Amino acid sequence: MSWRLGTRPQVIESDVCIIGSGITAAMVADRLARTTNGKIVVVEAGDEAPPLGARYPLRERYLQYGESPWPHDHLEGYEIHGPLQSRSMQVGGLALHWGGVTPRWSPEDFKTRSLFGVGTDWPISYDDLDPFYQEAEILMGVSGEQGPVEMDPRGKPFPMAPYPLTYNLEQLQEWVKHAGIATWSQPTAKNSRPYGGRSECCRNDTCEPMCPIGAKYSPDFTWNKLRAANRVTLYPRTLVRKLVLDERTKKIVSAEAMQAKRSGGKSPTAIEFRAKTFVVAAGYVWSSHLLLLSANSRAPDGLANSSGMVGKYLAGHRAQSAFISLPLRLYPGMNGQHSLLSKQFMRSPATDRYLRHDLRVWESSYDRGPRLRNDSGTLMLGDDILRDWRERTKTGVARVRAYYDVVPDRSSELTLDATRRNSYGDPLPSLAFRDAPESAALRGYSESTIQALFARMARAGGGSVLPARGNGGDWQDHPSGGCRMGDDQATSVVDSWGRTHDHENLFVVGAPTCVSGSCANGTLSFCALALRAATEMAR
Amino acid sequence: MIRISRRAFLASLAAALPAAALVRRAHAASVDELGASQRSMRALGEVILPQELGAAGITKAVNEFERWIAGYREGAELLHGYGTSTLKWAGPTPATAWAAQLNFLDKKAQRAHGRAFADLSIEARRALVQSDLDAINADGIPPLGRAPHVALAILAHYYSSSEANDLCYMAHIGRQNCRPLAAQTRKPLPLAQAHA
Repeated sequence: MSWRLGTRPQVIESDVCIIGSGITAAMVADRLARTTNGKIVVVEAGDEAPPLGARYPLRERYLQYGESPWPHDHLEGYEIHGPLQSRSMQVGGLALHWGGVTPRWSPEDFKTRSLFGVGTDWPISYDDLDPFYQEAEILMGVSGEQGPVEMDPRGKPFPMAPYPLTYNLEQLQEWVKHAGIATWSQPTAKNSRPYGGRSECCRNDTCEPMCPIGAKYSPDFTWNKLRAANRVTLYPRTLVRKLVLDERTKKIVSAEAMQAKRSGGKSPTAIEFRAKTFVVAAGYVWSSHLLLLSANSRAPDGLANSSGMVGKYLAGHRAQSAFISLPLRLYPGMNGQHSLLSKQFMRSPATDRYLRHDLRVWESSYDRGPRLRNDSGTLMLGDDILRDWRERTKTGVARVRAYYDVVPDRSSELTLDATRRNSYGDPLPSLAFRDAPESAALRGYSESTIQALFARMARAGGGSVLPARGNGGDWQDHPSGGCRMGDDQATSVVDSWGRTHDHENLFVVGAPTCVSGSCANGTLSFCALALRAATEMAR
Repeated sequence: MIRISRRAFLASLAAALPAAALVRRAHAASVDELGASQRSMRALGEVILPQELGAAGITKAVNEFERWIAGYREGAELLHGYGTSTLKWAGPTPATAWAAQLNFLDKKAQRAHGRAFADLSIEARRALVQSDLDAINADGIPPLGRAPHVALAILAHYYSSSEANDLCYMAHIGRQNCRPLAAQTRKPLPLAQAHA
């Protein structure tokens, strides 16, 4: 044990100790609470999230002043090197402020090596995950419609009817149809009717960063339910610094943590969490980070890391976007966060070389905002601004975006950064995303092919692609990986159930276990993987 | 009895007060200054906002801008974006610069026309505002908090509103307001004729 001499930590015992309180932790806790009688403890480094009743005024401050509607949702001193998805740490995790976008991945995502000769096959198939996709959709409450079966296979219908298309999206759907592309209403974890004790969406249209009425699912609702029923005990402001290995076996015996007081309080309190099973559900950064921090004399490279793969193969997908001017009268602002979805390009590549991508279409006000100077540079004031604005909005703009598949390299990794440490002296993580050579070689081709598709779509509607600055850069969205799953202990960290190869009572769930990042939003898939892992924990 | 200078007294007072309180007072003083120039601000609104709003609409837009600046919080934590671990905080109050610019418009009016800015014709006021905006090479309507001139700030505030969006499209869109989900399938209803 590494506690300082003379200090005696508070000891908390449980059957299952879940580290992290984000969306995958909520899925695991919910399933374990339903299927076992065990004592469940959840440990979260961040503080409690503002309750639902406080969210309208917080949203108003965000709209008016750009203030964070989730104040103090971060730990101090965590400025890390590399593309961190978000600083947020709070009870509920990043899914407090997610957009609620929940497409499933495609069957091909799980066998790209077998089918296309690129990447690595997963140890599970889409069919293995289908029931857990369904379960996640029911738990969150997903509104959606199935696309053409050949593009969008699924075992059962969605739990809620789809979001109706806005008048704008109906116009845009007709346009995209002319380009030979099938689209449908984007599945979303937002209520198209009252569901799960939460209200129907009323188009506040700030799903990201905050739904003020709870129509969008976020994990705090699950925690509220489980805490009210005394099925979980949740420890906020409690940072797990290290997992401790039993001296004789390869089991984990405890998690050493420090619980901070509320702001302005005294120094942190040491807590030792003991459990039969430990579940690391801390996302693509903090899961690998904790395993690496937990190095000891028997596991000098970190826990669960006999393969040397902890922190490796960070995955995601890159985006190509465009704004397309169209001869359509649109009314931006009807429900701007809802979109059309197509999976037409997510199945087998349509071209000779490997390229798979999704496609989404939104209403947009890009290049159609009010302006101060007209085309000849003359300053406009008063009625002139409004007149000019009206003239320019007689035609509409669509935003289109495609995420394309990026095959991660082994060197796409999280490492410990000895130059940056938290207040306890623990090294912070450093992140670097790198494409596998096969993927790097395809990057130019992938992006130019997608841009050509956008140009073709524009022509089909008698429109044009508008000039835009930048285009996604190197950022890979919906990051995952770091504890990839596999059947081979030499090349993976966890098995297909999320159980670490090295420690029978240690699981990693959700995003970190992904082998690759597909080419669509990942949260629903992370949840399905977590629910599947929870079935194994309950066995 | 120990005697201290006025300067030393003020310095010790400043040290004794929490910095945040001083910042809040400076902001409040600037907001008061802007409030004291309400007549000038409304006169500015008449130049830069659409006449279509009518007198009452322009007054409403200017009043709402004043409420906005009164509610500004220096140092407030801003939304932190994706892809970075950098946090952002609201900068110093823009009210100080905006109040000074309003005063400057008044001084220029006095100098050029011997009258207050608010007493000038629309055309004369417009010329003064135009010269200010040309002097800073204003080329667009900026994000509100970063507006380099009070005229741009009022424009930014009004044109980012749902009301302005509706007026542009002459339709009840109601952006970012609570509206029935089912109604989104229909084309937004037109605004009443009074706006047309």
